[in-house]
Amino acid sequence: MNENESDFAIYVNNLSKSYGSFLALKEIDLTVNRGEVFGFLGPNGAGKTTAIRCLLDLIRPDAGTVCVLGKNPQSDPVAVREHCGYLPGELRFDENISVHSVLEFLRDLRGGGKDCHVRAQELAERLDLNVRSKIKNLSKGNKQKVGIIAAFMHCPDLLLLDEPTSGLDPLIQQTVLEMVKESRHSGATVFFSSHVLAEVQAVADRVAIIREGQIVEVGETSSLLSGRAWRMKVIFAENTVVRIDEIEALPGILLDALSLDGRELKLIVDGEMDELVKALAEYRVESIETRRPDLEEVFLSYYGEVCEKDELKTKGNE
Amino acid sequence: MNKFYTITRYSFRRSVWAIIGWGIPLMLLGIITIPFYDLVAENEKQLRPVLENLKPLVKSFVGGDEVEEIFTPQGFIALRYFAFLPVILGIYGSVSGSGLLAADEERGILDFVLAHPVSRGQLFWGRVVAFTVSLSCIIGFGWLGLWIGVAKAESMNFSPFQLVLPYLSVFVVTWFFACFSLALSMCVPSRSSAAMISGIVVLAGYIITTLSKAIKGLESWAIFSPLTYYQSNAMKGLEIDPFIKLFLAALLFLFLARTGFRLRDIRVAGDGGWKLPFIKG
Repeated sequence: MNENESDFAIYVNNLSKSYGSFLALKEIDLTVNRGEVFGFLGPNGAGKTTAIRCLLDLIRPDAGTVCVLGKNPQSDPVAVREHCGYLPGELRFDENISVHSVLEFLRDLRGGGKDCHVRAQELAERLDLNVRSKIKNLSKGNKQKVGIIAAFMHCPDLLLLDEPTSGLDPLIQQTVLEMVKESRHSGATVFFSSHVLAEVQAVADRVAIIREGQIVEVGETSSLLSGRAWRMKVIFAENTVVRIDEIEALPGILLDALSLDGRELKLIVDGEMDELVKALAEYRVESIETRRPDLEEVFLSYYGEVCEKDELKTKGNE
Repeated sequence: MNKFYTITRYSFRRSVWAIIGWGIPLMLLGIITIPFYDLVAENEKQLRPVLENLKPLVKSFVGGDEVEEIFTPQGFIALRYFAFLPVILGIYGSVSGSGLLAADEERGILDFVLAHPVSRGQLFWGRVVAFTVSLSCIIGFGWLGLWIGVAKAESMNFSPFQLVLPYLSVFVVTWFFACFSLALSMCVPSRSSAAMISGIVVLAGYIITTLSKAIKGLESWAIFSPLTYYQSNAMKGLEIDPFIKLFLAALLFLFLARTGFRLRDIRVAGDGGWKLPFIKG
């Protein structure tokens, strides 16, 4: 392991993993800095969970290098897991035992002492979870809370959270995001995958987007958003005749949507705003609204192509 | 060591109902069956000609050439009690062994447990030890029932130690099937497939071993049947050679299972299964 690799909380180089003939990860490269919150985005089956499971040596990669907190999970899995908190995407427990027993068992596996016990109790109170309940009597959201407590109770250096807010009510979702932020402030690294892009946007310093087993974009959340085209909505005054073709002909302007009466125009502006503003000055404009795309739109822009292909395929089959 | 102990303790606690569910009926079997010996001994004159005139194939199913020993206390216990135990407990061993790791794996629990600082070796051996202790408890219940049954029978006089000897053989046969199905569960796609294959081996082994006493052609096959090495009449004294052979075979499968578990990926919940070509969906 060279020095560069151990500088990162997670270092992944050329990682590939296949299940039979299906290639789940295709030579991915990824680095997560120590102390940052890293969002990992992708739809179902993109390879998020496979990547996380490789980090914990639950599955063995076909090729590539993985280094977690300066250690190789394949040669020293226990040392890696010692410093990690993991929340799987599909969380299951023994149904016939109480929450308290589950947490006690997991704490014993960690060799956790009284601190761990106290913190687990604090987290249970914070998440409004009754530890006396039996697992089989818990709702999906409450089971998720048990997993969250197990992941956080030992104050790990690295948190690997696979869709942490899945099944939780909005208030508890906020609490979990606060816990993520608190962990970062205390120096921990958080690597988390999610479908809920708004929450990734709210907490992640950097984001990677994975598509069909390949990382298609990595960057700081802010630059990922700021580097994107503006979204503009223009509402013209009544009875205004707008020459759409002229506006569309402007450089870097793409027509996104046009209302039936021609009054409302949605544009994507990927260039100079100046010419567009001058062009709009010829008309009576009621309002103009501009904004940067949110993470969801960035994310969907990577998947639009795939969705279109899928639609074509479906139509072809029909 | 502490983590190993945690795994063992937790796994053992989970098997408490299995111990009660298998141990109590086994105990009752001994308490109820053994006192019947007095009745059999009383009716020896009527029963002996019936047994002597049985055709060889039928005779092989009720104890072969040793069937007439049913009139001795030792023979009665061997034929009416211990003859069936390896099949009953063999099924238990197959189901438990296949589920030792694969059941939790298919339910998605193993994924979560192994994300904690515990090695695959600690998890594996912790569960194997917990199973071995659970099996010992079940065997202990059975032994207790047998001892009570023997104490209730007027014409039987065996020491508790004599009653332990055939149970040692039962133990090693059951343990063999557990290790065998555990090894299978590490290479076949699902826990149920492993249990099914192991269950078939239990039943096929029983049939081959039993029939080989009457059908000469089966003798060469019987050496592959684990039940050939089982000693239902070990109260006379346990033969070490077959006991060791079975124990070593079990260790071999345990080693294969351990190697398989060390090398393979942990499956996610619901994984596995064979596709039958003629059943769609």
